[in-house]
Amino acid sequence: MSGRSRTLTGVRQPVVWLALAVLAILVGLVALPLAGLVADTVGEDADGAWGDVLSSPMSQALFWQPLGGSLLVGLGTGIISTIIGAFLAWVVVMSDVPGRRIIGVLAAIPFALPSFAIALAWESVFRNDLIGGTTGLLFSLGIPVPDWLAWGPVPVILTLVAHYYSLSFVVIAAALANVGGDLVAAAELTGASRARVAARIVIPAVAPAVLSGFLLAFAEGVSNFAVPALLGLPVRFQTLSTRLYGAISTGDATRGYVLSILLIVVAGLILFAGNRTTGGRSFSTITGKATRARITRTGGWRAPLAAMSWAAVVVTAIIPGIVLVVSTFLRRTNSFDSGLTLHYWIGGSDPSISHGMRGVLRDPVVLQATGGTLGLGIAVAAGAVLVGLFAAYAIRRRPRARIMNGTINLLAYVPFLIPGVALGAAFIAQFSAPIGPFGSLYGTFGILVLAGVAASIPFAFQTAKSALGQVSAELDEAAVLTGAGGPRRLARITVPLVSRGLANGAILVFVTMVRDLSVVVLLVTPATPLLSMMTFRYASEGFAQQASAITLIIAVISVAATLGARVLEKNRDDRPERSTS
Amino acid sequence: MTDLTIDRLGKRFGMQHAVDDLSLRIPSGAFLVLLGPSGCGKSTTLRMIAGLEDPTHGTISFDDRVIADGGSGQSIAPSKRGIGMVFQSYALWPHMTVQQNVEWPLTVAGWNRRDRAARVHEVLESLEIAHLAGRTPALISGGQQQRVAIARTIAPRPQVVLFDEPLSNLDARLRVETRSELGRVHRASGATSVYVTHDQVEALALATHIAVMNGGRLEQFGTPEELMERPATAFVASFLGSPAALLLPVVSDGADVVFDGVRVARTPGSALPAHAMFRPDSVLLCSDGDLDIDVVESTPQAGRHLVTGLVRGKGDMTTRVTIVSDQPSAPGTRTRLRLPDVPAAYFAADGSRL
Repeated sequence: MSGRSRTLTGVRQPVVWLALAVLAILVGLVALPLAGLVADTVGEDADGAWGDVLSSPMSQALFWQPLGGSLLVGLGTGIISTIIGAFLAWVVVMSDVPGRRIIGVLAAIPFALPSFAIALAWESVFRNDLIGGTTGLLFSLGIPVPDWLAWGPVPVILTLVAHYYSLSFVVIAAALANVGGDLVAAAELTGASRARVAARIVIPAVAPAVLSGFLLAFAEGVSNFAVPALLGLPVRFQTLSTRLYGAISTGDATRGYVLSILLIVVAGLILFAGNRTTGGRSFSTITGKATRARITRTGGWRAPLAAMSWAAVVVTAIIPGIVLVVSTFLRRTNSFDSGLTLHYWIGGSDPSISHGMRGVLRDPVVLQATGGTLGLGIAVAAGAVLVGLFAAYAIRRRPRARIMNGTINLLAYVPFLIPGVALGAAFIAQFSAPIGPFGSLYGTFGILVLAGVAASIPFAFQTAKSALGQVSAELDEAAVLTGAGGPRRLARITVPLVSRGLANGAILVFVTMVRDLSVVVLLVTPATPLLSMMTFRYASEGFAQQASAITLIIAVISVAATLGARVLEKNRDDRPERSTS
Repeated sequence: MTDLTIDRLGKRFGMQHAVDDLSLRIPSGAFLVLLGPSGCGKSTTLRMIAGLEDPTHGTISFDDRVIADGGSGQSIAPSKRGIGMVFQSYALWPHMTVQQNVEWPLTVAGWNRRDRAARVHEVLESLEIAHLAGRTPALISGGQQQRVAIARTIAPRPQVVLFDEPLSNLDARLRVETRSELGRVHRASGATSVYVTHDQVEALALATHIAVMNGGRLEQFGTPEELMERPATAFVASFLGSPAALLLPVVSDGADVVFDGVRVARTPGSALPAHAMFRPDSVLLCSDGDLDIDVVESTPQAGRHLVTGLVRGKGDMTTRVTIVSDQPSAPGTRTRLRLPDVPAAYFAADGSRL
């Protein structure tokens, strides 16, 4: 024991410095913006903002109706996403439906697309003449589209479902795969009917995953910004996200900050409740080794089940893409009457078409925005993964520093509870005023990176923790005995071993950042154009072709990176399988 | 009571024969061990008996009732076969307590509440895990999980109990302990049992009948004594026994059987032997023996010594053997091995006994 602690004393100091540096970064990125947000709503300049929002003649419109909208969208998204995700997970993992592998691949795609891509596709098809402007495909073909299907909560929920059921699917499919064939076989041997085995064994065993899938989709539905902004705002269907965006972007910052805090509280409560109910109840690691899933023969149900699952993935993963692609080739928005054109991709300036805007591939602003988006994605991915790695490493190396580790754990978790728009608001509140000798960060590329890193830290930290967890302490201890110092062991032993997991995490952070709108929407200025922001602006201003084209560029970047991540994943799974006798 | 008949059973995965032409029959209450190296088809055979896989050839019958027929494709559902199974992974339902895990099969079988409670109590008591009844599987140790799995399997009093390498996830001491527990459970229940393992010590300790399998085929079927006394193939001879029999690769030069240039015996009859088998306790280590042996290990055991070494004749050929000796030998030394005049058995080039 004493020999060991002497060994550790020699290297303790640098780790303490590392931990302090990590703590300082987390305080700067997480604690300070939140504190700034709160401070701005209670200071002398706040002018009774809390009262205005919560109890005044305005509070119905400012807070209560948007809260109702958020909860409605969240619940709808959560429930329907979970049902579809669970159904598809069962089909892919446990049934004999033809093409289930392809269904599995397709079901994971919508999450890689930006959520506003599906909203734009919806608009291209279902938009009616309620608010003027060009109508959608159906309407221009003479098919009337009722208002409730074109605008408001129904399309918002359905497009969010088309996006987030992917998440439920992935979570539940993983849990189902973990249930293992033996577990089900053991239940079938008792003579229980298939329904009984499902109700008593399979469903309870995956219940934590189902619940956490539901709560994730619920929280995302509550806080999503882009979709309600595109499909709800035109008919004044407000959620907390769109309301606080409206407040801040029209100069009513303080009330916007109050709404941000309230949104954080609502989303935080949901996610926190979810973590409490599902925490420690993951059943995956109990028995020895996982066994192949037991395939259910669906008999006469095979064809209907196949039709339903294929319909679900085709409608969400393939059709929106086709609609977006086609809509960029239509000379007149959402109408085949005037024929097709490549103008919106590669055309020069023509005063008769969209105020003389050039095709997106020839538009210098689009090219600049593409560079900005890629740069932002890469910078945020690198930054978040590094902070996550250092935080995880510091905690692992000093397991007994309770207070320090608790603080790091908490600060690295908190952004998970903060919806993107609210995080953006917090960064404005904290960094819009000049800090000391530095100028104001607002309007710089730097504030985008910082906000992105803050938003991505929870995921990066978890990834780094689990990657480090797979490297046994003995490997590091063996290196200690060679006399190698801390930084050297980190670089030579730990990092190479965790690099694949970290690279995977970095790619996912990159993808989320590339398609993100909610974190950056309040922070972007014309000096720092981003693709997602351009899409949003074009879509709100009625330039459907340009919006779709830029969305496609984002989708191509996201899907390419996601496929890259899958390839990494594949290689990791290439270990030889257990030989059975 | 149920006897088990397997007739020309076969299972093909694509082009690969996992099990090929397997036939055997055991009486009611027997304890059959399917023994062989990994990939030999023993688990596949067990899963076909359970009904978790369907055979592609041949039949499986309990008494006169055919439960699976690869020819017609007919098969009785696993739950209708009256079997219980202990899985290698235990397959305990993670969201149920120990009590619920054991009780649920009884509930499904339609037992009333009082009988269920009594039976659950009885099996938990007999396996000494009654105090764990309220815990979930995640909160008990591997050995305890294994006992729960056994309790759950035997609680409904199945006619046939199947075990799929049930001890392979336990440490050495627990393995021996649980093994004797299994024997006791078997004797108490009287159920016909089929047990899959690659560990010949387990097989010899538990079995009334052993089927040694290799490459999907049956090498030999018989009682443990028959297999030890009269191995039918070179594979069985090399696989069974602690230590296993000595197998020397030999050739016949007419009158004599020769190992690496050294005569070991007279050629038997007309057949051409490829291996000569000697009992490990029938050979002696002494300085004027027939063959050189380089000692690599010497392990004291039960008052005697297991000496492992590399045997060589006049050429470069070496064969690893383990013998039982009264004296220890220092590893790293060379001594000589004296063989009895006549080998215990000869095997032909295809492995069959001569």
